[in-house]
Amino acid sequence: MSSTPPFDRILIANRGEIAVRVIRACREMGIESVAVYSDADERALHTTLADRAVRIGPPPAAESYLSIDAIVSAARQTGATAVHPGYGFLSENADFAAACEKAGLTFIGPPVAAIEGMGSKIAARQTAVKAGVPVVPGETPADQSDQAVAAAASRVGFPVLLKPSEGGGGIGMKTVHDAAVLEAAIAQARREAMAAFGDGTLYVERLIERPRHVEFQVLADHHGQVVHLFERECSIQRRHQKVIEESPSTAVSRTLRQRMGQAAIAVARAARYRNAGTVEFLLEGSGDSARFYFLEMNTRLQVEHPVTEQVTGVDLVRAQIVVAAGQPLPWRQEDLEQRGHAIEVRVYAEDPARQDLPQAGTLLLYREPSMPGIRIDTGITEGAEVAVHYDPMLAKLIATGETRDAARQRALAALHQYPILGIRTNIPLLIQLLEHPRFVAGDVDTGFLDAEGDIIRSGLPSTPPAEALAIAAVARAEGPALAGIRSTGADASGIDPWSSLRGARV
Amino acid sequence: MSNPSDHRVDVVSLGNGRYQVTQGETRRIAFAVGGRETWVFLDGRTYLVSDAAEGSKRRSRVDEEAALVAPMPATVLAIHAAQGQRVEQNEVVMVLEAMKMELPIRAPRDGVVKSVSCQVGDLVQPGATLLELEDADAATGSESPG
Repeated sequence: MSSTPPFDRILIANRGEIAVRVIRACREMGIESVAVYSDADERALHTTLADRAVRIGPPPAAESYLSIDAIVSAARQTGATAVHPGYGFLSENADFAAACEKAGLTFIGPPVAAIEGMGSKIAARQTAVKAGVPVVPGETPADQSDQAVAAAASRVGFPVLLKPSEGGGGIGMKTVHDAAVLEAAIAQARREAMAAFGDGTLYVERLIERPRHVEFQVLADHHGQVVHLFERECSIQRRHQKVIEESPSTAVSRTLRQRMGQAAIAVARAARYRNAGTVEFLLEGSGDSARFYFLEMNTRLQVEHPVTEQVTGVDLVRAQIVVAAGQPLPWRQEDLEQRGHAIEVRVYAEDPARQDLPQAGTLLLYREPSMPGIRIDTGITEGAEVAVHYDPMLAKLIATGETRDAARQRALAALHQYPILGIRTNIPLLIQLLEHPRFVAGDVDTGFLDAEGDIIRSGLPSTPPAEALAIAAVARAEGPALAGIRSTGADASGIDPWSSLRGARV
Repeated sequence: MSNPSDHRVDVVSLGNGRYQVTQGETRRIAFAVGGRETWVFLDGRTYLVSDAAEGSKRRSRVDEEAALVAPMPATVLAIHAAQGQRVEQNEVVMVLEAMKMELPIRAPRDGVVKSVSCQVGDLVQPGATLLELEDADAATGSESPG
């Protein structure tokens, strides 16, 4: 790559850990970064880290991170020449990509036509079928009345999945096992689709039972080259939101990997795809005899992109920027290999002991573990407020090792040294999952968490052990002296109230 | 063993907000005090040990008998029960929305809605009463199994 940065200034149309990730890539490449923020994120990490930051509206996403006008005008105002959309929010919105182009901004992602083509489930399936890639039975009823959607469900056959036609990220998806509860599920799916994407159109699909979710990362440049960067397995999901992702998949053999990789490239070529994208498959069975079905293509960077980066040694955000600038991909398919194993766990602000209820509050203490083979991508800092306005994901912890078990052990060790205090997180659940015999054996499917979740949760400790009570008693007794540890500055300023407590009888 | 004052604890700062705690064996912990709440991090687990926590636990036990409370800051999306309406255990009486997700609020037992304390569109805070239930027999006079 040349020493001249491909862009002078990039605006990042996102928040949280992905905005931080892109800002850091920009800095490394000598590109100025422009953050956008809502009033809820005025002091957020992404806002303070970027070279410039522009307020784009009040906390509700619809009035800030989803406001095309506010973001395009922020880019104009700051002289940005390119826009990175991150994931979620406007990342798969063709109107946004078109608005960027119209304003003379390079959209760091696929062309508008590819977003539209893959954003529509019908068109995406047709593209896959045309490319010779198998698909799961399903349809978007032209008539979207409750009766017509219900009729479509009967045609497709139960169990069915109701999905927002404009959606992604598992938001608003509903599984329906029999006709009795169909009507209520249609109403709820439509409401959630409307709230999240502003469009209540539903897609009805046959549910493949006990499938694995295996997806392939692809990258395409403007010079006719399309490569895949192997698979990620994302079968550990809760309410269709991913919790643990890894690469390679324990179900994918060498031969199967080759077939699926070629299928992913065929879909990308048929869609005239450019930049980074992900081709998602459902996998039935494992090994050479497994069957795979094209599910959808995500026309953006994925949350779980780090596991691919860890096993291939490729920087996907950098590659996205290079490709968007019209440069060729710096490697060919035969240059790429999968080495070792990476596991990502998503740390959510949720209480696993109370039906994964989202948590909000102040992060009184937040300290990341620092160990070999551990990467943490986050957008939060100690003292920050976790608000209800956005996604509850706090951080991604990515463990890399020579083998799957080495990566798993590293993830466990790191989670045991990852204090996040002030709100409850799913870390206890993540620990239980990583230790679960079925996860250890690689015997998982997308129903794993639904099937095992209650048993796993019942293993979570409910009452604090005596030591915790004792420590709390010390903390309470010495309350005023301890106030210092609430702020990040305390350690730096050398305040150490604890040295005086050594040997104290409490 | 439950009285914390029976335990001798050695605490040594390891810097960067972490502490080594010795009570028989040595553990590394972190903790933070926020208002009346004390958070303790011990072996990958987080515990909320405080007067406030004990208080809210007591309160929620009472609440389950009479009132449904908001578990977190959320927006009221839908209310499916009106005052005087008879509801069954596990029936969804209300739907809240927070962080892009719908949270159905279910009746903890059979009963009759005594009062509804919120409206669709309200932003409710944790602990806020959403709806109060009373026993069906209080309204009908019939025998109700506890």
